[in-house]
This record gives sequence, structure tokens and C-alpha cells, in this order.
Amino acid sequence: MTNEVSAAYPEARVTPDNAPMLKRWREAGELVLQHCEGCGKAVFYPRPVCPHCWSDRLVWRPASGKGTVVSFSVIHRGLPAPFDAEAPIGLAEIALEEGISMIARVLVADGEELESGAGVALVGKADAARFPLPTFRIAR
Amino acid sequence: MSQSPSTSRAPARPVSDRAVSDRAVSDRIGIIGYGSSAYEKSPSRSEAGYMAEAARAALASAGLERSAVDGISVSSTTLPPDNAVTLAETFGLSVSWASIGNAGGAGAVVNVFDAVHAIEAGRASHVLCLAGAAQDGAFFRGRIGRFNGSIGDYLAPHGFGGMNGLFGIIQRKHMQTYGTKREQLGRIAVDQRANARRNEAALLRKEMTLEDYLTAPLIADPIRLFDCVMPCSGAEAILVGPLEEAPSGKAVAVRAAAERHNHPLGEVSPLRGGWEVFRDDLYETAGFGPGDLDFVQAYDDYPIMVAIQLEDLGFCAKGEIGPFLAERRMTFDGDLPLNTGGGQLSCGQTGGGGGMIGLTEAVRQLRGEGGARQVAGARRGLVSGYGMVAYGHGLSASAMILERAQ
Repeated sequence: MTNEVSAAYPEARVTPDNAPMLKRWREAGELVLQHCEGCGKAVFYPRPVCPHCWSDRLVWRPASGKGTVVSFSVIHRGLPAPFDAEAPIGLAEIALEEGISMIARVLVADGEELESGAGVALVGKADAARFPLPTFRIAR
Repeated sequence: MSQSPSTSRAPARPVSDRAVSDRAVSDRIGIIGYGSSAYEKSPSRSEAGYMAEAARAALASAGLERSAVDGISVSSTTLPPDNAVTLAETFGLSVSWASIGNAGGAGAVVNVFDAVHAIEAGRASHVLCLAGAAQDGAFFRGRIGRFNGSIGDYLAPHGFGGMNGLFGIIQRKHMQTYGTKREQLGRIAVDQRANARRNEAALLRKEMTLEDYLTAPLIADPIRLFDCVMPCSGAEAILVGPLEEAPSGKAVAVRAAAERHNHPLGEVSPLRGGWEVFRDDLYETAGFGPGDLDFVQAYDDYPIMVAIQLEDLGFCAKGEIGPFLAERRMTFDGDLPLNTGGGQLSCGQTGGGGGMIGLTEAVRQLRGEGGARQVAGARRGLVSGYGMVAYGHGLSASAMILERAQ
């Protein structure tokens, strides 16, 4: 689906705030997001407190893993190893269906182009374990 | 502006903003010295070594001895685990006030603002404000993924390649939202380069045309090479003290200043920043507005952020920066002199010193010491800061209005 991976990616640091998200991604290729039981809003990146209302009643809920590209960059140079071997890399602001934005890598297959407004979805369980954080592809 | 009133009373803007900017005015305390070290592509000495060179120049420009300094303030993201206190030890200074900033490229403006307040409050009499770094490109690339927690945890593992991709996202959004064109943003880089050609201290002085800008190597589409700053080594210094002590005609007054962090809330790639919150109060406190300024020194990590600062600081309406830039000349002798020494885009980015290069250049201009790039009759100028890039954008915004003291 993209260039072959030549070396291990850096591992995402597991913290008390993000451990459930990283575990779910690694084991099932699914995205879970914090939701605040105080004000009902979704939260990303993971935090110890809701930034909207300061409630600490944050619970993890499955997200659809689908969203829309708001804007993006295609990074050609200045990438650290091993990403430099896979250049160019797509990085996008993605408006998730849960109503919040995330910046994430979007894999682009041969013949595809990133576009603002494009629908994206998680890469799927088979590929998820390769990537340290939830990673997307253009939805077909 | 961004805050929702929690009571039935709904002031036009948060009361705290007024209080902050009103405190900025001091008739007595201001900038009495400034200095810059040499800039180098690779470090030949430590960060403190560059700061020492800038500090010596600042004291010399004030006509004061080292013994006058009893306060020290530093803006640096590369100095820790050292800090303002250990720097005082390195320099052999015993001080009654020491401070280190946390606002990255917005920090130097904040530090000078704080220094004025510290002296007004009697905490010190003369504060040496420093900013800089000893780094090269490889050093910068090595630490950019650990710049702060959210970058390290949620961007670096994607292979985000530093700040270029984040500002590529912001620039593309501005282009698709408002129709801004690279040909328009490029005017910033090209005119600043023309300024740098009259500044022997700038590291990048080769002539640049708009065509050169447009066709430069692609880095993080739509960001190309001349949208990016070159990390380098060097330092800047500002001496804050009693205006009456400055050499005749060399005192620079702080008419207004402000900072704002984490605005707007909840956006990862915003097309605006904290400047829009304090802009009106800033000009009201100064007693004059953008049309009365002789130059602007804006934080230029990328032309798109200069563009957003000019919008938020009221030089044109939001989204209208493209046509605005197309109609103006930003050279030192143009109708909107911008980053008159070439800015970070042509001088290089000395880490936290990138937040002070606009201050030292502003003071240089207001003292009539701009040499081949002197803005004729420069009396008033604005310096803005931007920094602490975290999850998608810089969290910190600052600005200061300076005027040649009479």
C-alpha cells in the first residue's frame, strides 16, 4: 500500500493519559477517544482533565476512525530516519466524525493524491501494528 | 473576545486584558541598550558565549559598566537544565531578580515587558535580557521531536519532520480559505532578503527573486525552502533600565506590550493567534495605531505566520493579506518596512534569539543606527513574537510598541 518499511518507527511514549488509546490501536487497529462525562465533548490529544470543563470524569469510547481532510502537507525533506526512506509523507489535519480535529499521517497509495475535503479512514487492523499512532488512508 | 462571560454582565472584552496593557506604560523605564553577537552556521562557542558577546555590546551601547546589572532575564529553549541563575553565575553577576521565559519565540518580548515591570516594582535597577542558541541544523533536527510533550507524544511518532509540515498545513488552509497565493506570501521573503543584503551580519545575503522563491526546492508542500528559517548560532541582548541613563537621543520607550497564550482554544491549525485578542488595547494604550508606525518587526519563522500576524495586528482584515502584500513594499525604504535587517528568514534563527532579533533591530532603527538599511526618520515601531509550537501550532503570541524617547 505504500513504500516498504525499512526500519522500525519510533515508539509512542506510553503515559497514564494515553495508555488505553495506544493499547487499543496496537492490538485492534481501532481508535478510542476520551469523552468527558461532565460536558459530553470528545478530547484529543489525551489529557488528565477535560480542557472544556475541567472535569476529570473522562471515559474512553470507540471512535468511528473516519474523518475528512481539512488541510494537509506533503513532506518531502527534513524527515528523520526511517521516514526519510518513505518520503514524501502525508500529514493532515483531520476532522473526525466525533467533532474534533487530529493531526495524523495519511498514507497515499500510487496514483492517489491527498486533497482537502477527502474522506479518510484508519488503515485497518492488518497494518495498524506497523504504525506507532492511529494512521489513516484515503477512504475508497 | 474569545471568552464567554460567565455572568449576565458582558464586557466588550475581558477586563484582564485592559489591566495587562495599561501596566505596560512606563515613562521612566525602557530600553537603554542593545546588542547582537555574530551569527554562525555552526557553533564556535557555547550559548553563553554568544550571549556574552551580545551582552557586552548592549552595555557598551548604553555606556554602562557590567556592575550596573542587577537583574537577568533569559529566553531560551536550549539553555535548560541551565537557567537565568546559573547564567548569572557564569557571567559573574550577583542579581536581585532572575527570570527565564517559557514562551519560545514570543518570549523575548515578554521578558523585556517583565523587566520593565520588575524595575518599576523595585526588584532591580538594570535588567539584562538575553536570548540565543548554540546550534546548527543537525542539532535542531535532533531535538525538534522533543520540543514539548504533545509534539513528542503525538507528532514525532508520525515522522512529522519538524515544524515545516505543521506550517504547511496552516499555509494550505489559509490559501484554500482566503485565496492567498504563494506569489503574495513570497513578497515577504523577497523583500526581507533585499533588507538582508544591506546587513552584513545576515547569514543569507544572496539576491533572491520572486521566481527563486516560487521554484525553490519543495520541503513540505506548500512550504518550499525559502519559507523556512535556517537554524544557526548567535544571541541578542536588550538592556532595560532608567531612560534618563541612556546616551543622548538613544533611549527607547515601551509604549505598550501584551502577551496571550493558547488562543484560540481547541483548534489544531488556526489561521489566527493571540494578537487578535490584545490588538485593540495595545494600540489604545500606545495612543497610536498601525498607520502611525514606521516599521514592523514580526516573528518570521514562516512567511505565512508573518501574514497572520499582520492580519491579527490590524494592518488588514482577516483573509485580505494576499492583496495587501501585493500592493506594498516591505523593504526598509518601502511603504511597510518589515524585518528591516532581513529577519530570521535571512539572518538565521538562533533558537530563542529569534524572538529577540526583532527587538534589537527595532532599537537599532529607533536610535538611527540602521546604517545602510536605516528607515528614514524612524520614530515608532512594532515588534511581535510567536512561539512554543506544540500540537499543530505556536501557542504563544506577544507584541510590543516602541517609540524613540524624547
